[in-house]
Amino acid sequence: MGLEPGAGLEQGAGLEQGARVGEGPALDVDGVGLQFGALWALSEVSFSVGLRELFAVIGPNGAGKTSLFNLLSRVYEPTTGRIRCFGRDMAGLRPHHLAGVGVGRTFQNLGLFPHSPVVDNVLVGRAHLMKSGTVRAGLRLPSARREERHHRDAAMEALAAVGLASVAHRPVGALPYGIQKRVELARALAMEPRLLLLDEPVAGMSRSERSEIVDLVRSIHATRPLAIVLVEHDMGVVMGLAQRVLVLDFGRPIALGSPAVVQADPEVVRAYLGQPLAAELAGRAAGRTPAGGLAAGSPRGPVPAGPAGEPSGGGAD
Amino acid sequence: MLGVAIAAVALGVPFWVDGYWRTTFAFVVIAAIGALGLDVLTGWTGQISLGHAFFLAVGAYVGGYLGAHQGLSAALWIPAAGAAAGVLGAVAGPAALRLRGLYLAIVTIGLVYIGYYVLQTWTGFSGGPGGESLPPVTFGSWNFARGVTVAGHVFTRDQCYYYLALLLLVLAMLYVRNVTRSTLGRSMVAVRDRELAAAVLGVHVARTKMRAFVISSVLAGVAGALYGSFLSFAVPGDWGLVLSIEYVVMIVVGGMASLWGPVLGALFVVGLPALLQNVSTTLTFLSNTTSGNGLSPADAAEIVYGVLLVLFLLIEPGGIVGIGRRIGRQLAGRFARAGGGAGGS
Repeated sequence: MGLEPGAGLEQGAGLEQGARVGEGPALDVDGVGLQFGALWALSEVSFSVGLRELFAVIGPNGAGKTSLFNLLSRVYEPTTGRIRCFGRDMAGLRPHHLAGVGVGRTFQNLGLFPHSPVVDNVLVGRAHLMKSGTVRAGLRLPSARREERHHRDAAMEALAAVGLASVAHRPVGALPYGIQKRVELARALAMEPRLLLLDEPVAGMSRSERSEIVDLVRSIHATRPLAIVLVEHDMGVVMGLAQRVLVLDFGRPIALGSPAVVQADPEVVRAYLGQPLAAELAGRAAGRTPAGGLAAGSPRGPVPAGPAGEPSGGGAD
Repeated sequence: MLGVAIAAVALGVPFWVDGYWRTTFAFVVIAAIGALGLDVLTGWTGQISLGHAFFLAVGAYVGGYLGAHQGLSAALWIPAAGAAAGVLGAVAGPAALRLRGLYLAIVTIGLVYIGYYVLQTWTGFSGGPGGESLPPVTFGSWNFARGVTVAGHVFTRDQCYYYLALLLLVLAMLYVRNVTRSTLGRSMVAVRDRELAAAVLGVHVARTKMRAFVISSVLAGVAGALYGSFLSFAVPGDWGLVLSIEYVVMIVVGGMASLWGPVLGALFVVGLPALLQNVSTTLTFLSNTTSGNGLSPADAAEIVYGVLLVLFLLIEPGGIVGIGRRIGRQLAGRFARAGGGAGGS
């Protein structure tokens, strides 16, 4: 069950990075549905993510991206189907077990602790690796001090990796939004994940901030042994970054495959991209940079008209 | 330098003031221990509890029972009082901490009523409604009730309690400082600020709350043991909801999630009414109660205290510590401007 919408596409997609790894998937989502009252927020969603794959989930607002993300991070329980993470069934895992399984995540609307310094925020991502409690930490025993030093160093490394070592001791709430998003990324890295879940990592960012994050995600993927699942609204970001893309519409998967395959899929164009974006993409293909990405205008509003003018309409049908 | 000054004042105070103030300051320091505990739970972990009086009572009566009926030294019954309160905290915790916010506050009120009922009915333990004498602190031949002579100098009863409480407060502050700077402290703040995010990031939310609850209970137990012993006699009604609320006021007024907040809050909540009482008896227009005009000094003190409390929280929600930080920032800014940034940090 659940494979029919994406089944045809998956073949083509599987030839990309995901299938090459061959050690078993970082994530295996099988026929998952999520029901809220009478409404199915998600139905029959199936995909798997390879151990080193960079996988993206896109879709218009209300398509179920965030619901899917919350399923993956155990905030919701799937109504139907099964999710496996590194071969392990995620049913019965509590959210705080995820870090131990190797899942790190960022939050769409920031999950930072505003009053704490940046480095303390990153260190929270390592709580599951630390053992000192009421006795050892309270009495500051040598073992607790050693542990604290070790993890503080690791947190500083993670901050250095995203270029934020210099703000480590500033309260995170006082920093600009773009920097806060990067702190979240550093924290997710400090969790030492094998699977990194990024929930709209460029939402609400300026164009230069966006390209910084894209470069950062690309370099993280290139240099670290992990899989990345990225839920994103911004089409341009996903197409330049992901190896495979799952497109959701009204809670159903409508396409799954490489960015090129998905982009050309008539159903995707009809359901998600629509006329204006097709125009924008055509403009982009012609080598022009659009003045703003898809989500630049108002993330909640309708897809803004492509700024490139020239409604070429190519691929609209 | 500030630390040395604070230490000098804290150590010297019992020699500079009269008996009224010595007693008051002993109560302040004892309350500060309990407030420090509540701040771990409420200030650092964000769990509102109105059950602190229950754990204070547990400490007082367990300590009293072990000291009077079992004849143990205070070196044993004070820690035992803390341990007993901690164990009860660990028992009550899993049920209470499933709830959040106001619901948790209401359930912890339930603890206070359960405690009151037990104290009323278990007369062999608490003396019942008639109350119970609680034993003085004794260490070997030292008996705090009679005062203690060290190297020819006689320490009065209230001085003895003051210094013992001060020692325990310093130890408790060191402990809380260590905890709040550790991974446990970071987890507590994470649970307080964003519980769901904390869980997804790998923080064991239930365990973190539980640890905070137990630390809070242990410190309440120790404070309760000292408080009961210093009162020397207690009735079940002494451990009611009002006592719990006083501790909440202490941490709010002092400034939550700070090491000095609970101490300053205890000074405000215990010390200010004592000051107002003391002053109001000397103001003739207030003490003119015999003719029916004017307020009694006690009533006037209560009203002034209440007004100050409201004003205080309206003007500075960060508590006394918040005012201190604001002044510190302004001074630092002034120094930075004057000295080209040398004094800025």
